[in-house]
Amino acid sequence: MASTIVLFVLTLVSVALGATAFTPSLDLRPLAEFYLENCLNQFNKDLWAASPEAVTSMLWDYRGLDTVYETTVFFLAIIGSVAAFRFGEAFLRSYEESKRKQRREEGLSLIVKVITRLTFVLIVALSIAIALHGHLTPGGGFQAGSIFAVAPLLAIAAFSRRFVEEFGLTKNTCLAIRTTGLITIALIALIPLLSIALGFTGVFIIQNQPKPWALQPSFPGFPVYLGPIWLAGTLILFNVAEFLTVASGFTLLFILLSLPEDFFRRLMGK
Amino acid sequence: MIPLFFSPFLELLLAFSLTMALVLAYFAIVQRDLVKAAVLSAGQSIAYAFAYYLLAAPDILFAYIPIAVGIYTVLLLYAISKTERFEEG
Repeated sequence: MASTIVLFVLTLVSVALGATAFTPSLDLRPLAEFYLENCLNQFNKDLWAASPEAVTSMLWDYRGLDTVYETTVFFLAIIGSVAAFRFGEAFLRSYEESKRKQRREEGLSLIVKVITRLTFVLIVALSIAIALHGHLTPGGGFQAGSIFAVAPLLAIAAFSRRFVEEFGLTKNTCLAIRTTGLITIALIALIPLLSIALGFTGVFIIQNQPKPWALQPSFPGFPVYLGPIWLAGTLILFNVAEFLTVASGFTLLFILLSLPEDFFRRLMGK
Repeated sequence: MIPLFFSPFLELLLAFSLTMALVLAYFAIVQRDLVKAAVLSAGQSIAYAFAYYLLAAPDILFAYIPIAVGIYTVLLLYAISKTERFEEG
């Protein structure tokens, strides 16, 4: 009873505060002004990130090291969960187990299966679109990877895990895709350093565009447009690589978590 | 003098959605049935996602909705399915 009264009073207070339209301040901080003025500044290309999307250019160009550390943390989390489920023959055994039993109805009903087929395609298409347009519209690699991860989850729930495994979505496939994504990120971050061998001296890691105030000759930068298409230097490459990494990491997690319970019981009992 | 055009809809919606998030979080904590608690926490995440949209942060929105409503809720349901469904005490 007391908790209901407290909640009611809190609701009244917060709605009343909202009705006064109290907003802290509408001025931008100097740092935000700097980012907004410079991320697509065609007249002064000293500090530009070649992308109209300020958030993605902050993620991968102005504060690129933070995103690299965040990807490392995610990578370590997935390593930890793969180590917790470290039984090597896991997928083979769960597949053969179900084949030995009689083939009964597995998965959910027919309506759920039909709708899951539709939404699977929609979710995958949307996530790829968000990843590829990360430098133009809100979104980017990590967001697209998390959206993608919902699709195999739905497939495991509506069809069975064995069905999804038959289609080739196994632990080793996901590990291979994730390693590809991580190596691509590391390579793109270190390519400016490799160009020292070609005689460029003003190079930094995670460098997107040339810096005219650095030692000349500076690294010439990644291509910004391909005809009418606006690539944004490293941003599109980083977004695609991060999408592969995050999507396969989350999918790996669900493949490992949905191993059946009696499989583990039998394993522990031996 | 009240200004001629006074439209606090953004702040009212923000206050409403965040209060709904608080209420749903409270009910998720005191709920005994853990499956209902997982669904209530997903509802709280939806209220937060609405607040992120009102604060004009679409990048966070795209990451928050699948993780909090999809991945986190399914993780909780997996954990509940391997232990018991009703909390004691």
